[in-house]
Amino acid sequence: MLSGEVFLAGGVMAVLAVGMSYVLGWANKAFHVEVDPRVEKAEDILPGANCGGCGYVGCREYAEAVVLEAESVTKCTVGGGSVAAQLGELLGVEVEEAWPYRAVVHCGATTTDRLQQHEYRGEPTCSAANLVTGIQGCIYGCLGMGDCVRACSYDAIHVIDGVALIDYDACTGCGACARICPRNIISMVPFKAEQMMVVSCSNKDTGKDVTAVCKVGCIGCNACARVNDLIQIEDGLAGIDYDQYQPETADFSAALDKCPRESLVLVGKPSEKDLAAVADQDLPDRIEADFKTTVDDTEWRG
Amino acid sequence: MEYLGSLILIALGAALINNFVLYYFVGICPFLGVSRRVDMAFGMGCAVTFVISIAAFLSWVFTTFILRPGAPLSNWIWSLVNPGSDTVVDLSILNYLVYIFVIASSVQFVEMYVRKFHPPLYKSFGIFLPLITTNCAILFACLEIMKHVSGVPPAQMWDLGRALTLAIFGGIGFTLAIVLMAGMREELDLCDVPKALRGAGITLIVAGILAMAFMGFTGMDQSLSGLLTG
Repeated sequence: MLSGEVFLAGGVMAVLAVGMSYVLGWANKAFHVEVDPRVEKAEDILPGANCGGCGYVGCREYAEAVVLEAESVTKCTVGGGSVAAQLGELLGVEVEEAWPYRAVVHCGATTTDRLQQHEYRGEPTCSAANLVTGIQGCIYGCLGMGDCVRACSYDAIHVIDGVALIDYDACTGCGACARICPRNIISMVPFKAEQMMVVSCSNKDTGKDVTAVCKVGCIGCNACARVNDLIQIEDGLAGIDYDQYQPETADFSAALDKCPRESLVLVGKPSEKDLAAVADQDLPDRIEADFKTTVDDTEWRG
Repeated sequence: MEYLGSLILIALGAALINNFVLYYFVGICPFLGVSRRVDMAFGMGCAVTFVISIAAFLSWVFTTFILRPGAPLSNWIWSLVNPGSDTVVDLSILNYLVYIFVIASSVQFVEMYVRKFHPPLYKSFGIFLPLITTNCAILFACLEIMKHVSGVPPAQMWDLGRALTLAIFGGIGFTLAIVLMAGMREELDLCDVPKALRGAGITLIVAGILAMAFMGFTGMDQSLSGLLTG
C-alpha cells in the first residue's frame, strides 16, 4: 500500500512542476518587457562599484540614464576616461576628454595653525561639532573629527595634524567625503594632471577676520590674482578656474611667491622628484603602537 | 461574533503578541539587511506583507485540498486508482517541498506581472521581491497555517479567512518591527558606538532590546480570548 502513496506523492509533485513551469514559461513570454540590450552592455562596462559618484543610485541606474536619457558618458568618476571611452564607443557618441575627479580639501590649517580653539567634549563627529559655535575661530575650516574618513570606502582620506588629507593614490573620486562634510570644504576637482594647484582655504571673511582665526587662511589680498589669470578673488577667497587650467602651460610660481599665507598648494600623487627627495629618510621597519588614550591627552583635538 | 472574535485574536496575535520577527525570530535576514533607512524598510515590509498573503492563500488551498490527511482531491484520485480502498491518504510529508515550490514560482509570476503592467510599483518594491522568495517568515506563516489545517478535527480547522488574517497581520507585524528597527538605526548613526560593536554587533543588541520590549505583550492573548469568547 505504501508504494501507492509514494506514487501519488511523486505524481502530485510532477503535476505541480509541469503546471508551474508551463505557467511561468507562458508568463515569461506574455509579460516580456523589452529592455534595450545596450543597457546591459553599458552596465558591464561600468565598474560596478555602486558608489553613487555619478549622482545615480547605482551603476545600473546610470547605465539606463546613459542609454535611454542621453546622459553624459563622462560621469563615472571611478572608471574615469577608459570607461567613458568605452561607453562612447557603445553608444556612438564623441567623448570629450574626461578628467578623473578627485576630492580636494579646501582647508590647510593644522591644529597649531588654528586660533581661538576651545575645548569640545561632545560627540566626536564633525556633524555634531558643526552644530556648536566657538569650537574654533574659523567657521569655515576643517573640524578634523573625521566624518570624511568614515565615509570613505577606499581608505583614501585621513585626519593628520587635525586636518583631513587625501591619499591620491587611493582616491577614486566617488565624492562620498564631499557629500558628508558638514562644512562643504571638500570639493571634486577635475585632475588634468597628476598634481593640481588648489586653494587650501574656504574662509570667505575679510583679511582681518581671517588673520584673527587662522595662521594660514586666504585673506583675499589679490596678490596671486594680479600675477595669474587663472585665479580670481571672489567673496574674499581665491578661486582657480579649472575650465581654463592647462597643466602644461599653467605657471603658478609667481603666484606662489606672492602668496603671503601659503594658501595655494599643489596636491596630487607624489612625483618621482618628491619621492627622490624623501628616499634617503629611513622608514621605520615596524611602527610601534602609541598606547595613549584620548583621556590622557585631553587637549582640544579638532 | 465568535468567528469575528477569533479573527481579532489571530490578527493581534500575529501582529503584536507573537510578532514573527521579535517573538519567533524568523525573517531576521531582511530585518537586519534592509533596516538601514525607514523608506527602504517600509518598502520591504510592504513586499513581505504582499508575498506572505499570496503564500498563505496558496498554501491554505494546497494543504486543504491535497496535502492534509483525508484531503478531498488526493483521496478522490486514490479512490479512482484503488476502488474500494478505505485508506486515508496523507501527503503532509510533502508540506515543505510544495510550499517552497509554490511560493517561489508564484512570486516569480507576480514579479513578472508587476514588471509588465505596473512599472512604477515594480521600481519601488519590485527589487525586494526576489530577495524574499520563500524567506523564513513566509515559510513560517505557511507552516503555522498548516498546523491549524492538517490533522486537526474538522470543527477546529481554519478556513481561508483565518489563514489570510494570520498572513496579512503577520506581514503588518513584520513591517512594524522593521520600520521601528530602521528608525532606531537611523538614530544610531549619530551615536558614538564603541568600535568593537559597530555594524552587526550593535544592530543585534538593538534587535534584542526591541524584542524584549515586545515581550510586554506576552500573555495578552490569554486574557483577550477570555474577553472575546466570554
